[in-house]
Amino acid sequence: MATRPSSAVRRAPTAPSPFIVAVLLVAACSRPFPQYPVAEHSVPFTALNARQVGAAPPVAQSVTGDRIARARAEPQNWLTYYGTYDGQRHSALDQINTGNVKSLRPAWAFQAGVIGLIANPATYSFEATPIVVDGVMYVSGWDGYVWALDAASGKVLWRYRHAIPLDVPMCCGNVNRGVAVAQGKVFFATQNGHLVALDAATGRPAWDEVFVDVRAGESATMAPLVVKNVVLVGSSGGEYGVRGHIDAFDLGTGRRVWRRYNVPKPGEPGAETWKGDSWQRGGGSAWVTGTYDPELDLVYWGTANPGPDFDGDVRPGDNLYTNSVLAFDPDDGSLKWHYQWTPHDVWDFDGVNENILFDQSGRKLLAHFDRNGYFFVLDRTSGKLVRATRFADRVTWGDIDSTTGEVTVRLTPTPQGAKICPSPSGAKEWPHAAYSPTTGWLYAPVVEKCGTYKLRRSEFREGMAYWGGEAAADHDPKEGWGYVRAMDPATGRQVWSHRTEHPMVGSVLTTAGGLVFAGEPTGEFDAFDARTGELLWQFQTGSGIHGSPITYSVNGKQYVAVPSGWGGWMKGFAPELYGATRGSALFAFALP
Amino acid sequence: MRRPRRLAALLALAAAMAGCDYVRLLRPKVLKQLNPRVVRMVDFLPEVDNPNEAIVARLFAHGGLSNARRGRDGVFRDRIRVPKDQYIWEPAIIVMERSGDLELEFANEDQSFHMAFLPANGEREVLELPQHTRGTARVRLDHPGLYWFGCPVANHAGRGMLGLILVKGETPPAARLDRPRQPRPRGRD
Repeated sequence: MATRPSSAVRRAPTAPSPFIVAVLLVAACSRPFPQYPVAEHSVPFTALNARQVGAAPPVAQSVTGDRIARARAEPQNWLTYYGTYDGQRHSALDQINTGNVKSLRPAWAFQAGVIGLIANPATYSFEATPIVVDGVMYVSGWDGYVWALDAASGKVLWRYRHAIPLDVPMCCGNVNRGVAVAQGKVFFATQNGHLVALDAATGRPAWDEVFVDVRAGESATMAPLVVKNVVLVGSSGGEYGVRGHIDAFDLGTGRRVWRRYNVPKPGEPGAETWKGDSWQRGGGSAWVTGTYDPELDLVYWGTANPGPDFDGDVRPGDNLYTNSVLAFDPDDGSLKWHYQWTPHDVWDFDGVNENILFDQSGRKLLAHFDRNGYFFVLDRTSGKLVRATRFADRVTWGDIDSTTGEVTVRLTPTPQGAKICPSPSGAKEWPHAAYSPTTGWLYAPVVEKCGTYKLRRSEFREGMAYWGGEAAADHDPKEGWGYVRAMDPATGRQVWSHRTEHPMVGSVLTTAGGLVFAGEPTGEFDAFDARTGELLWQFQTGSGIHGSPITYSVNGKQYVAVPSGWGGWMKGFAPELYGATRGSALFAFALP
Repeated sequence: MRRPRRLAALLALAAAMAGCDYVRLLRPKVLKQLNPRVVRMVDFLPEVDNPNEAIVARLFAHGGLSNARRGRDGVFRDRIRVPKDQYIWEPAIIVMERSGDLELEFANEDQSFHMAFLPANGEREVLELPQHTRGTARVRLDHPGLYWFGCPVANHAGRGMLGLILVKGETPPAARLDRPRQPRPRGRD
């Protein structure tokens, strides 16, 4: 049946009704959300890993500060960051020794890989020291990872991953150097400055406290240190004009017990070494784990460069307590003594490197290989200098008197750029030296590199880098090399030295088997005779080593484990390897 | 007699447009951002964002931004759709006014299977999104900053299925540095 067109329709082509236009506009602006059937709810990514056990045996329950203080008595474990509180990185295990090390072969490998976007993707690096407690290995990675592994098979028991924002203001690399284990918990610091306590059996968080301000440019990279009933952590961010600090949290509750700033406020001791308001941006972060003497009840913790790094004119004075070792009481953080390695630093020579505690001829001593190229031995009861000697071939920034410690500066950054040795990451990067009570010698990974240092005034803006110039290590591979170097602390002299093609930036391990282990930036994991320096064994791990090997045993079998994964602040120590292959594997070696 | 009708119609039109995002673009605050390079980018967008014309991908965050709403239970909530044949999340940026729990409802209107790979404390959350289904995910993000999410299927992320969760907020007072207020970048002091 034919219909007569309505008047409304007839009008439409010439003048559309404003009502219709309005309705159409509303429709264009809001599209209804589809009412499809709900098929799924999200699941944790680990739920899709059928091989993961999901729980670890409750071995960490009985780990206490007292037990860590006696860690040398249980060499099957690696209970704390340096193996023992004294920082010696020495194990009494001797199943693997100079006679049989040539038969060492991989027992298992753990591979983490990287999925999706991460902060600082070009510079993530596997810098951790694994912790081993009665057959369970706890290890942390970049970007918020913690794994509990079966130390005999490498099988993943549980995994935790903190969500790390892409915009964390990390200065140099997306890295984490390890965890601490005590009282059934695993403690670790996230890149965005949370101290997280995980249940060591399940990997679930027990408490979580923020201890740095990312808005101010702070971050966190070090492994916490458990001392008595507190867990100690230090801040990172010395390149952002922060005010560095060390904090102590209660193990059980996560309540903050104390915080000590490494740069004093006006009126506090040391404030006279700063001018005007420069202390507010004075730097002095504390990004490497300290050592501890339970008998003296003193913690020894290094502090980083003053801010801005290269422009000392805006902060005249010695700039205490930057580039120092602080000896403090773990109960309240009160300072007993300090020693400043590089007063008024303008070369970014962070004084954070480890302080190794050892006794010699009845004296309680402390050994420290500083970035400034000098090897210091101090009396650790008083902080008095015993001796300072050079341990790098080329040190041109200045001289330090061997007995008085007096510093004479020779070269400083200039607006045009000055060539100065060592390069800004120093003659020794953070990777740790080791001590062998058998030989009485120290073994250091040495960086032989010079750099160009430029001075340029920086305007401070909170959260933005505050360098006061720029420094870069030489790119020419011929101009850089490394050593594993044995030094006698009784004389301050070298005993032997093994030259490597590129700067050494992997930690050293010594064992009662007469061995010294260390990894190279090109991926070789080496074993040396501790007495002669002879290279006895080598294995290519496939990516540069910038982490810390450890040794432990399970059911009477000794293992040596090392993380392999190149990265970090390569501009400072090996720009010629910026393009080298990256990785994220952990190898465990054993005898057949 | 036609005059009041026309007035009513104009009022209805104005009311409708006030509720429309396009009209909001005319605010001075938005126009101020339109430097010549931004204008060039906006002009270029239609060319880029037609798959298989200029390039095969979509620009990151093309799906726009949405402020997650905070419910009475303190949980932030928002909805994200995957439109047909586009390889994008819509919206692609979710803003949380502060850290906490976020519940997201997804709808896949596309002809492909997708997944959402989401940041969360403890472990990332994974959600499968078969064609023409909905799914939900709940994540905890306890710190200010930018977090990415994406579709881990094939190279959907590279073609445009990357998104951001932007958590606003300050560091807790106890964790801040003890020093006078410092200048912040770009006049934010």
